[in-house]
Amino acid sequence: MEETFAIKARNISKTFHISEDSHNTVKHRLFNLFNPPRTKYVPAVKSMSLEIKKGECIGLLGRNGCGKSTLVKLLAGVYPTDSGYVNIQGSTMLMNLGVGMSHELTARENVYVSGSVLGLKIKEIDAIFDDIISFAELEQFVDTKIKFFSSGMVARLGFSIAVKAGADIMFLDEVFAVGDAKFQEKAVKVFESSWIQGKTVILVSHSMDVIRQYCNRAAFLKNGELKYIGDTGKAIEMYMEDNQ
Amino acid sequence: MLTSHTIKNFFSGTNKLERLWLMAKIEFKLRYYENNLGLLWALLKPLMDVAIYYMVFKVILKSDIPAFASFLFIGLILWNFFIESTSGTIQILQTKKYLYEYSNMNKLEIYLSTLMSNTIGFFFNLIMFIIFLNFIESDMMGLSLLNFWIVPLFLNLFILSLAMSLILSCIYVVAKDITQIWQVFTSGLFFLSPIFYKLSLFKQALPSFEYANPIAGIIINARRVMMENNLPDLELLVFDFGYAIFLLFVGFILLNKLGAKAAEKL
Repeated sequence: MEETFAIKARNISKTFHISEDSHNTVKHRLFNLFNPPRTKYVPAVKSMSLEIKKGECIGLLGRNGCGKSTLVKLLAGVYPTDSGYVNIQGSTMLMNLGVGMSHELTARENVYVSGSVLGLKIKEIDAIFDDIISFAELEQFVDTKIKFFSSGMVARLGFSIAVKAGADIMFLDEVFAVGDAKFQEKAVKVFESSWIQGKTVILVSHSMDVIRQYCNRAAFLKNGELKYIGDTGKAIEMYMEDNQ
Repeated sequence: MLTSHTIKNFFSGTNKLERLWLMAKIEFKLRYYENNLGLLWALLKPLMDVAIYYMVFKVILKSDIPAFASFLFIGLILWNFFIESTSGTIQILQTKKYLYEYSNMNKLEIYLSTLMSNTIGFFFNLIMFIIFLNFIESDMMGLSLLNFWIVPLFLNLFILSLAMSLILSCIYVVAKDITQIWQVFTSGLFFLSPIFYKLSLFKQALPSFEYANPIAGIIINARRVMMENNLPDLELLVFDFGYAIFLLFVGFILLNKLGAKAAEKL
């Protein structure tokens, strides 16, 4: 039973401490010894538990500021949780408009580093390297540092790496906005064939069509609380109601 | 246990070593191949350092240490490795953020790959030192099997540097001032390490200090095995390994406590 879970989270919560005027220097600290900086507490994610099975595609719904992105980062293991625990089986990758790439490295080096971080062996990366580059339509810029790339080129490269290499668990935060119409069409196709089948996907989107089409389950969040997880239609309904 | 968790996580993968080597190579390439002189800098830097200190201590201050250039050479390459791996990595969690910001990669790998890249540089320097000692300043002993003691000594330095790197870069997450503090601290440590002093003078002025300063012990022992045809001072070696392992333990705890928050704080 244990093996079938990709992510198990129990009672996780996250509160951000934001100090309003930061006492950055020693002088400032001394002068304000009896006037400590006011700290604002932002409870981004309040205690929630959820389990995600392997191979599932889960949609995350909620209005801006409801804690979707924080929850994604907690589940991906990027942020430590304040309470509870997250048990992650496998490598995770978080994609929003950019993915983790160094602007000092060339496209080739980025492909190898990212691929390796995602758990591939060098030989496996060798095998898919040409695919990645041609998918991203960057054949002429393989050995160019990506700081000279346009933002669209960087995004396409990131997307291609994710498509071809992919982690065990993918967190997709509004990713269908990359590239021109032709690239998007291509992207959606690979998305359907390689991610929906075989990988665990957590999809964050404000597009109900996307969620309805791909997700077997969906979660609805409001003010940092998990209001509902289960049937996709019901979650979308609740989200629509909340938007009224 | 916090630390055992980190270590267990770390070794439970198959492509880890491959990845470390890949990242170390890229890091090394980034450092040198960007410049017009390329890898030549890795070789020129220690030679120029040696030339400067030789000028000051041999030509001006008339130091009477035999084979003084080699004496400086081995001290300086060990010291430079330590500085590159500590001062050079204080901001590592910031500069390498792209690696852990979007995935659950183990941060320890970032440190190890950077230190491995420094090790490649050290290896080149060590070869130059051996050539220098044996062919240019050849009034000292030649090669001997005792030279292989440099391996455990370097391992000691590696662990110590990794530990300090972990500690400093994790403190950096909550207190940026550590960069300046460490700068002052290392310039003090530089003059309190027997890099250009005669060992007897050093011991006379600061009795037993070589036991308090882990770098001093490593440099003293490295000279014994590389230049003096002697076994390392085992007591000193044990002391220095003790320091390194203790600090590494502290480093792991800090990585779990502070380093884990790097994604949100930096």
